[in-house]
Amino acid sequence: MQESGETKRVRLLFRIALVWAAIIAARLVHLQVVSHEEWKDAALQQQEREVEVPVPRGTIYDRNGKVLAKSLTLDSVCVNPRRIPDAEVAARILGAVLGQDTGELQAKIEKAAAAKRGFLWVQRRITREQSERLRNFNLDWIELRQETRREYPSGQLAAHVIGSVDFQERGSSGIELALDDDLQGQAGAVKLVTDVKQRAYESTTESAALPGEDLTLTIDSRIQYTAETELAKAAINSGAKSGSVVVMRVRTGEVLALANWPTFDPNGKLEDPHAITGRNNLAVTVPYEPGSVFKVITLSAALETTQLRPESPIDCHRGALRVGNHTVHEAHGGYGILSLADVLAKSSNIGAIEIGKVVGQANLYEYVTRFGFGRPTGLPMPAESSGQLKPVKRWGSMTLPSISMGHEVSVTAVQLAQACEVVASGGQLIRPVIVLKRHRGGEAEREEPRQASRQVIRPETAITMRAMMEGVVLHGTGRNAKLNGYTSGGKTGTAKIFDNVTHSYSRYYNGSFMGFAPVKNPEIVVVVTLNRTTGGAGYGGQVAGPVFRVVANDALRILDVPKDLPENLPENLPEEKVQPVNELSVDGLEPEPDSEPVSSIPPGLGAASNTPTQAPFFSPTAPRDPNAPTGVRVPNFRGRTMRDVLEKATESGIVVEVVGRGIARAQAPEAGAILPAGERVRVQFDR
Amino acid sequence: MAQYRSLRDFDWVILILTLVISAAGVLQIYSATHDTPKWEDAWWKQVVWIFLGLVLMWVATQIDYHSLLGQVPVLYAATVALLLGTYLVGTVIFGSRRWIGVGAFKLQVSEFAKLVIILLVARYLSELKGDSLEGKELLKLAGLIGIPLVLVLRQPDLGTSLTYTPVLAVGVFLAGLRWKQIAIAVLAFALASPIVYFSLQDYQKARLVSFVDPAKDPKGKGYQVIQSKIAIGQGEMWGRGVTKGSQTQLRFLPVPHTDFIFSAFAEEHGFVGVVVILGLYFLLLMQIVQNAQLAPDRAGLYICMGIAALLLFHVLVNVGMAVGRMPVTGIPLPLMSSGGSNTLSMYLMLGLVNNVRLRRFVN
Repeated sequence: MQESGETKRVRLLFRIALVWAAIIAARLVHLQVVSHEEWKDAALQQQEREVEVPVPRGTIYDRNGKVLAKSLTLDSVCVNPRRIPDAEVAARILGAVLGQDTGELQAKIEKAAAAKRGFLWVQRRITREQSERLRNFNLDWIELRQETRREYPSGQLAAHVIGSVDFQERGSSGIELALDDDLQGQAGAVKLVTDVKQRAYESTTESAALPGEDLTLTIDSRIQYTAETELAKAAINSGAKSGSVVVMRVRTGEVLALANWPTFDPNGKLEDPHAITGRNNLAVTVPYEPGSVFKVITLSAALETTQLRPESPIDCHRGALRVGNHTVHEAHGGYGILSLADVLAKSSNIGAIEIGKVVGQANLYEYVTRFGFGRPTGLPMPAESSGQLKPVKRWGSMTLPSISMGHEVSVTAVQLAQACEVVASGGQLIRPVIVLKRHRGGEAEREEPRQASRQVIRPETAITMRAMMEGVVLHGTGRNAKLNGYTSGGKTGTAKIFDNVTHSYSRYYNGSFMGFAPVKNPEIVVVVTLNRTTGGAGYGGQVAGPVFRVVANDALRILDVPKDLPENLPENLPEEKVQPVNELSVDGLEPEPDSEPVSSIPPGLGAASNTPTQAPFFSPTAPRDPNAPTGVRVPNFRGRTMRDVLEKATESGIVVEVVGRGIARAQAPEAGAILPAGERVRVQFDR
Repeated sequence: MAQYRSLRDFDWVILILTLVISAAGVLQIYSATHDTPKWEDAWWKQVVWIFLGLVLMWVATQIDYHSLLGQVPVLYAATVALLLGTYLVGTVIFGSRRWIGVGAFKLQVSEFAKLVIILLVARYLSELKGDSLEGKELLKLAGLIGIPLVLVLRQPDLGTSLTYTPVLAVGVFLAGLRWKQIAIAVLAFALASPIVYFSLQDYQKARLVSFVDPAKDPKGKGYQVIQSKIAIGQGEMWGRGVTKGSQTQLRFLPVPHTDFIFSAFAEEHGFVGVVVILGLYFLLLMQIVQNAQLAPDRAGLYICMGIAALLLFHVLVNVGMAVGRMPVTGIPLPLMSSGGSNTLSMYLMLGLVNNVRLRRFVN
């Protein structure tokens, strides 16, 4: 009885134990068999850590290897306020080294310590001397952390091209922004297996660190410097609000210089409000109505698509042309019949309109497009503007005449340079490039791939255009763009600025010059624009021409281009009293409500009244009589050297078309003939 | 009676199971501590303890348990005296005075007190007359156990002091505790537990709180349980292999060679390993219970059942703690956890079981 009672109780105990054991066993099954993934994740989460391996941002060089932007590693000071034994002493030490206010610093430290914070930035990116001094104190509450800072050793030089970075060293403008990812590289990731005290046990590379790419730009600092200084000078002298210069190498499209005014110092703080206006990369981002420089496109289209030749007579309607219900005037005076070449040289608005009419809407649009307008050039610059070009179906009655002379279309300076290069390179549209090559640490240098060029006009057309544009410099509106020792060609342009508030053209001008040199075998294209100039100085040839002259001359010298003219030519030919001004005056023209700004001035304002009077340049002078014999007698060039010929031709204001090399053997027209205005003398050279 | 003992009667099954579990323990201690400089000698120390344990086991087999029962008053007095001694000369480790130096060794008196309590319960209950236990006698026995229990509790060492209770509980239950008395005991426990709770040390309270909700303070008191569960869960079916358990090796798991040795074992040997090791414990337990039923007298039965209860309590509380089903009380997993006193007392107890077995043939 007693035994069985105990056995029963043993069994009962056994069952209780079994229930208990079953609860634990169920738990074990759950942990190890059912939900083990969850626990594995939990383990990984606490045992593994991803650590970023920072990589240095790429350096930017100019084409000669000069450093334009570089990241420097500097120390930043932080302290652990909870470990600071005496805030006053700490503040005195830090204040003395860093030049900070001791009292303020002490208050900051005490506040952080009171909030039980274990970390406080004292100063970011201190100098090397300061970090050396702090390190020598050897205090356990001072921590120096390495941070990098972007330095632009040349300051403002090429600031708009290079751009700048924000406080995190990410690009905020220019190449720094456009190619930010390449410059930044890819921080590597390392997976660390750490023990409970965060000591790393083993590490595996998750993704290899990819250092930032070094970029070599096509920019030549020397040319860039000249461009910037000349631009600034001209802008200040002419009262322009802003301006740009683009220098491009012919046939490669390499941008040698790209300057804007006003400019900024990329070393400065991004937040500086004064710097905001200066940060705009106008040459790339801000389009404007080009005005007369655009006549180059109109005339190229004419040579390509019509029977018109440089010597073809164009009726310039004696200075006033009725187009629809508007009357177009020349900017200054008026012409009767001009050769096509002279329409360009004298920048006749009416002549350009007449030519444009012959070309027709479809052809003009086609050629404006072929010259690369209406779409971005593809430079690696942020916010590039494609300009404005309306499709033909949206053209109004004034659009064709307006575009013929560079209105109702807006373009950027870079687009103009690209278009000028078409003429300079013999008809090839070449996309501008600004990155020459790339280099990543440990890898070979890589040339930046180039886009294939495209023949957009015939080489003959380009050569003819070059000759006509040389005429502009030699005896047209662009005489003060004449180079020393080199032939050059170009086109001036002055466009009134359309005021979007009053819906009329204001008294402010965009003055531009686009040109190339040397004429025979162009090496560079230079585009100069000065925006919002006032008065007579605003006229393109007057304000932009001299910039072109200095910049192009310097660039050719720097590039070691052989001279094709004797040096130290008299700087200016006997100046004519009146420099023909090829400005647009459209009488009684109001912009159509849905159309782009149309070249117009308020009704009743004629060309004369429209001309700013304060400019000495426009002092009352008789308009040139278009019917007077304008030609010069052709001298005898035979037997002379090329240098002699060119010298002589320049003296007498004759454009010479040079064929071959050596000694002049034949010429047309012959010596003694009267050369019609705009015509040139073809001289055949031979050994 | 000595002439009837023979080697054939020795419980070889218990010995083999004990040695297998101990070997698994040594392996796990090695794996958990091999690159922790502070503990890297723990595994061979454990081997030494096991050999010492085998010697003590043999000794415990040789002395007739009846004569041991006769010495209970002396043993009891000596235990209480030694426990009091820990307050005077005890070595403080982890904020608790549990150890008393004997030469080079430090012994944990409370571990050996378990043996005395088992013998005390066995003698006390076997000398009772009648089928059932009177309330007065129950209280007297509880009082006798209460003295060392409170002394251990105040060391403070909640875990070990709690291990004394199943010996008493199983003993009085088998001695014929009436259901009415059980009901009173349960009621008394229910009433006493809030009082007990408030008399606990702060860290003990925190352990209880974190047992209820370990995620509440994962970096604090619940940390150990979470780490233990991660280790066990990570072990999956087949385990990560010896010295390959990341929780154990990267020291996320606290004390992986003592109190949390089960978690370390589960991480490195998986569910299969866990089933095998718990199966061995089950067989060991069954063997002890079988010996209890073969015991020649009630004293022998109480000794064996007390030991079985103690072993079971240890295993269930320790494993339960590791899987998050019991509060963290800090009691070792018998035979596996690293530690001299615990190993020795466990071998002594198993020696006592054999002692009873060898004397099962009453002539």
